[in-house]
Amino acid sequence: MLPIVSITLFLPLVGALLVIMLRKAPAQAVHAIGIVTSGLTLAGAMWMWSRGVNEAGFAQLEQVDWMPAIGAAYRVGVDGISLPLVLLSAVLFFLTFIYSAKVRERPHAYVILMLLLETASIGTFTALDAILFYVFFEVSLVSMYFMIAGWGHEDRQRAALMFFIYTLLGSLPLLLAILGLYLGSDPHTFDMRVWIEKPPLSGTAATLALVAMLFTFAVKIPVFPFHTWLPAAHVQAPAAGSVILAGIMLKFGTYGLVRFALQMTPDAFRDAGIVILTFGVIAAIYGAFAALAQSDLKRLVAYTSVNHMGYIVVGVAISALAIDPAVRATAMDGSVLQMVSHGLVTGALFFLVGMLQDRAHTREMDRFSGLLKVVPVLGWSFVLAAFASLGLPGLAHFPAEFQIFLATLRVEPVAVIVVLGIVITAGLYLRAIGKVFLGEPREQWAGMSDLNTRELLTLGPLLILIIVVGIAPALVLDIVHKTTAALQF
Amino acid sequence: MARDLALLIPEIIVLLTTVFALVAEMLRLPRIALAVTLPGLLLATAMTLPLLGADTSVFGGTYRIDTLSVWAKLILLPATALSILLARAELGGSDREGTVYVLINLVTLGSLVLAGAGDTMLLVLGILLSGLGSFALVAYPRNNAATEAAMKFFVFASVTGAIMIFGLSYWFGGTGSTLLSELSRLDTMPVVASIGLVAVIVGLGYKASLVPFHFWAPDAYEGAPVSIAAYMSVVPKIGAILALAQVVRDLPVNTGWQLVIAVVSVLTMTYGYLAALVQHNIVRLLAYSSVAQAGYFLLGIVAVGASPLAFKSIIVFSAAYAAMNLGAFAVVMGTGRTLDTFTDIGHKKVAMAVAMVVFLLSLAGVPPLAGFVGKFMLFGASIDAGFTWLAVVAILNSVLSLAVYLRVVVPMYQRRAVAGKPAPVPTPVSMPLVRLTWVIALVLTLGIGLAAQGLLGPLV
Repeated sequence: MLPIVSITLFLPLVGALLVIMLRKAPAQAVHAIGIVTSGLTLAGAMWMWSRGVNEAGFAQLEQVDWMPAIGAAYRVGVDGISLPLVLLSAVLFFLTFIYSAKVRERPHAYVILMLLLETASIGTFTALDAILFYVFFEVSLVSMYFMIAGWGHEDRQRAALMFFIYTLLGSLPLLLAILGLYLGSDPHTFDMRVWIEKPPLSGTAATLALVAMLFTFAVKIPVFPFHTWLPAAHVQAPAAGSVILAGIMLKFGTYGLVRFALQMTPDAFRDAGIVILTFGVIAAIYGAFAALAQSDLKRLVAYTSVNHMGYIVVGVAISALAIDPAVRATAMDGSVLQMVSHGLVTGALFFLVGMLQDRAHTREMDRFSGLLKVVPVLGWSFVLAAFASLGLPGLAHFPAEFQIFLATLRVEPVAVIVVLGIVITAGLYLRAIGKVFLGEPREQWAGMSDLNTRELLTLGPLLILIIVVGIAPALVLDIVHKTTAALQF
Repeated sequence: MARDLALLIPEIIVLLTTVFALVAEMLRLPRIALAVTLPGLLLATAMTLPLLGADTSVFGGTYRIDTLSVWAKLILLPATALSILLARAELGGSDREGTVYVLINLVTLGSLVLAGAGDTMLLVLGILLSGLGSFALVAYPRNNAATEAAMKFFVFASVTGAIMIFGLSYWFGGTGSTLLSELSRLDTMPVVASIGLVAVIVGLGYKASLVPFHFWAPDAYEGAPVSIAAYMSVVPKIGAILALAQVVRDLPVNTGWQLVIAVVSVLTMTYGYLAALVQHNIVRLLAYSSVAQAGYFLLGIVAVGASPLAFKSIIVFSAAYAAMNLGAFAVVMGTGRTLDTFTDIGHKKVAMAVAMVVFLLSLAGVPPLAGFVGKFMLFGASIDAGFTWLAVVAILNSVLSLAVYLRVVVPMYQRRAVAGKPAPVPTPVSMPLVRLTWVIALVLTLGIGLAAQGLLGPLV
């Protein structure tokens, strides 16, 4: 069988090497390479999707010995939790390349970094070897650092440095946990499948490993109070960087929370379930309130990410606490779907904010008014994405959040106060739409042009996917549920 | 006897190479000295390969041919060759060029003796051999800075050397033998064992620039030619670390040597990086960084005897450290000695800047580069040996290290603030050789990261 996982994983890297070799190529050619490569990667991801996953365990395994002396190997594969995220990454990167075709500042380096980031992202979701996972996890940080430092806004150096140090500091405890799991397994191995099947640690050691992992993923997700890097990074990052950061890289955190924390130290996770749940609830509500206080549109979207990611933490914690397997599966289904929905919706919102900024060179909501009449396509797209973000039925977030809340009611009814977050989010989006898009248009923005073809090509697929996932979540859930129904922990 | 000599072929080749180079230099033919030295070093490396897997000793147990000493040759000889390329680029055409190669060869020989020492007298011999050559190399430029640096270095080395010999006499008194393998007899004499241990840590600690015996290092590196600093930060240092491993593998555990080493490790890492954080001269910055990296080596030393990962991790990190540190110094040679000279080279010298980023990130331990694999295994070794807290401290220090290395990376991609202010002119060096060196180092830094198995396989 064709090793389609590896091909999908390394295609972007091949594209990057191609760009490195063609150092004299004009900007258009370089962007074309980026778009074609990421398009092929998307095709590969869809091929993986068509192959599907197994009832239990991992599917589409590919393995090559790497460092047998210490039990590390190149191992990749997918299950119902990672496959949707792989597809999400491929989609978002492809669209990001289309959106970025306008970049004229050092296009070679830009495309190389983005392609590297794509390999790192898909690698993080498909790696089944802890070292490999960590390698991809860190490579993504380095590429994102250069992305923000190289193509960000005014204060980019500081923001990039803060992002890098914060998240690298965050990821080092994971290294300790990985070492602990490695030394606890017998025979020593870095095979994540073995760790999941037979958790190597117990008792205090498991608790310590869990605390280390929770720290890492809490920074990445980010959970209050570890979220302070996020607004700074987003405000300074270029629009494409924000889309990848929020749409994909935050998912590393929740994916790791499930794959590592929950599956490898299940007992300790269950014991700490209430604490984790509390953090999730606080993050969700705090994120919503913080977003309410923003006047900068991009910061607003960034803080709603904290809110939405909080729901995922709640879902995962509920899944761990649930005794009934059906409820457990429901909570996990909701969490995974929420990851996908958040990627699509936040991706669309950050693109839209970026497009608005390209035109107005500001993101202050008070400076706008009545844009719906000036740029109707941009305006209505924003309204649609904002409604999706606040959880309107029929759009992507609704089925996900609904399942999470449903399971929460069954397991820990008090935690349902997290629904407050939705009310606040609804309020803040309506306020934002009112300020920016409704009312009388201002003289100043009269000449603003509506979306061009490139931007439509970027946004169109995302908006369609938001509606499709909202109406027919089963398209995603069929794959997800295969794995979650069989989850043992 | 014939068997002993056959096992010593690599060392003998290095010695013969040195003698030939010396003769060539006496005839004022530095090019011949160079032409003899490089193939000699590579030949010695090649002749080491058949010894892989050997675990024996020669001359009545005084010199060991084991995993550590064989790998020491495989790592230090090519590293010496790279250093000689750098030295040629910087000092080529100078008055006594050939002596540089001769001295470098002698220091390498001393480092190899250290790495294979099975006897306390060989430890002393190794320290002296590598020390004497180093003083002369540091003083080579014959200016005030270099002379002062060499003087400081010399005084420091003399004092620590004397302390070491004094302390070793206790071990001799206790065991009645100078062989390291007899040290296990000391388990009933903890005081004697401790005095000797402290002496060894002082003596080897100065060579490996462990805190608090590191004071000479930044000054010596700064005063010396950059290529010599690069060389000294790699070859003699690794030699001393491996010698420490040779000593502690025979030392009884009840002397508490593990705890002592662990404390020195924490001091070294933390002080090294904190000091590096405030440097403006990049050679000094790299000097303090190499002090700190020595602290990481000690994570592996702590685990000697307690974890099967100990030797593997030390060897992998030695190879990684040699590649990335030489690479970083090579880029410094091609750029300049102050942080200021690095501003904006990211846009002017794209490839070299990318290489520097790789070296620095590797030094900080970012995957998938060589430094990561090495440090990762060192962490594993120390956790396996029951020193989890030490691994935690090391990881916290990695964060600190990132701040240190980013201080170099960040300006590389900033535009020069004052328009019209010309970039500082770097010291004239032969760029093709420098480029060759960092390209080789870059390939190794990436390669060791991805294919550490190549190093691990023969070890098992």
